[in-house]
Amino acid sequence: MTNLLHRLAPLAFTLARMLVQAAGIVVIVFLLARLVPGDAVDVKGLEGDLTAAQQVELRHQLGLDRPVVEQLAGWSWRLLNGDFGASIRFGRPVSAMLATALPTTLLFTALSFTFALLLALGVAVSAVTTGHRGLRGLVDVLNVWSIALPTFCVGVVGILVFSIWLGWLPVLGSMVLPVIIIGIDSAGLIVKPLHEELREAATSAHVRTARAKGLAPSRIALRHLLPTAVPVMLALSGLVLTSLVAGTLTMEVLFGLPGVGSLLLNAIHGRDYPVIQAAILVIAIALVIINAATDLLHRLIDPRMTS
Amino acid sequence: MSLALPAKAGEAVRRGPSPRTMIAALVLALIVALALAAPLVAPFDPLDQDLRALNQPPGPEHWLGTDHMGRDVFSRLVMGARTTLMVGFGGALVAFILGAGFGLVALSLGRVAETVMFALIDLVRAMPDVLLALLLIVALGAGAQPVVIALGVAFAPFFAYVARATFHREAVKDYVTAARLFGGGKLHVLRLHLAPNLVGGLVTQAAILLPRCVVTESVLSFLGLGSSPDEPTWGRMVADASRYIETSPHVILAPVIAIILLTLSLSILGEAVRRNLDPLRAAGEAKL
Repeated sequence: MTNLLHRLAPLAFTLARMLVQAAGIVVIVFLLARLVPGDAVDVKGLEGDLTAAQQVELRHQLGLDRPVVEQLAGWSWRLLNGDFGASIRFGRPVSAMLATALPTTLLFTALSFTFALLLALGVAVSAVTTGHRGLRGLVDVLNVWSIALPTFCVGVVGILVFSIWLGWLPVLGSMVLPVIIIGIDSAGLIVKPLHEELREAATSAHVRTARAKGLAPSRIALRHLLPTAVPVMLALSGLVLTSLVAGTLTMEVLFGLPGVGSLLLNAIHGRDYPVIQAAILVIAIALVIINAATDLLHRLIDPRMTS
Repeated sequence: MSLALPAKAGEAVRRGPSPRTMIAALVLALIVALALAAPLVAPFDPLDQDLRALNQPPGPEHWLGTDHMGRDVFSRLVMGARTTLMVGFGGALVAFILGAGFGLVALSLGRVAETVMFALIDLVRAMPDVLLALLLIVALGAGAQPVVIALGVAFAPFFAYVARATFHREAVKDYVTAARLFGGGKLHVLRLHLAPNLVGGLVTQAAILLPRCVVTESVLSFLGLGSSPDEPTWGRMVADASRYIETSPHVILAPVIAIILLTLSLSILGEAVRRNLDPLRAAGEAKL
């Protein structure tokens, strides 16, 4: 019984932290949106659609004349029911606009994430198992690449080379180039710690034993080294996802992909506050949930985490 | 399966700056010099439009050609260097002051305050820095100043974390105990004995975060959220030229290469600073 409790306590902590973080994000987004000079009604008023009396009326209807705390509570309650309000510019429900944009972004991030993890893992494992100088150099190159080269600059060069000069890819709408660019960028973020962890694992007793038994290097890499990389990968995946947010924004804009990033940017330029709030909330809360999930998974497969 | 042999301890420590670091320092010095001397160096007004010379290729009159509004690309590049550097460095500075200040106040107020204040930072950190910066710019409005504040707030937590980590590492050392035993008050010890030892870690963190600040600034201005349209920044130049990428690639390549040179030299220098200064890593580095 105490044993079970001992194991469940950290899980409960992770879940509680997730809820607190999500609530915190809702409050931060709400408060920062309130800082904006002028509310939704002012924007409509400036466009000349409403008289002063109509503005007061509409503000009352939208509840904008009530105390802040009450508004926050009402807003959060509607969010919980999936009601993000309506776009000021288009009058469409924000949830419908998000639903149109989400598939593109989900596909893009899933592809980039997978490519990043496979690339980082491939380079790190082969660098450790072969000990090849070039491969170890590649670890450093990837690392510097991701720190120093902004993805949108790489994207511009990529468009010039592959779409315009070589003519291999269309300039707009193709996901190939952005996925490769973001994949390399994110791989560079994690390949160094991954490499260090694997190098340490390669000197551990069970790998030495495997070598002493005369197992093939490929088998050692796959059966004995790779499993030790899994917990590290889980721990690092949060870092990758966070960097994907910036990457997705710039790539969607540069390559004309109609995802949540493009939606958010268009909303910011059009001062469409309900859409801005909803898009930022969806991205931030999705990250909090995914991070909590990887944390739980990490605890499940790595018993060292619970102690 | 062979593994890299560890180099002899101390071997890498005594060497002077590597050629890579020297080149990075030279490139950075050149960019800063150009930015400082921008009004003298720029042959044209960066906002002057010459509508008879749109998207001109590089030539003797316009060294790097002209953009889609007939503005001189070289002049925009050197004037843009000012804004890019000022906002990027300003953001890092604000983050440093905000983060280190917040961290030190939390640490000097005792355990409970420390836990609560750092929980608050964790809460803000749950949001990716770019999203937080975006949200702050939406709230504060566009322009150079809001971007500096947004970058500062988004990157401040890193400095607070470093202040806390070095603080706790130093606080258990003998010299602190001795100072306390001699009757030094908490604040006195923090100010006179601990603070000087926190500087190394914080400066290292600044060196690591500087290229990230510059990159984030250029991303924000590429997205059209940086400074106002009359102030050329490198990110905005890339965004403006992206529509004419097929017909006049030189207009977009100039700021792209400039950004890459700047961030690359900053991160090489940051890495050099980290290798030589960082007290947190020093022990581990000697072993490699």
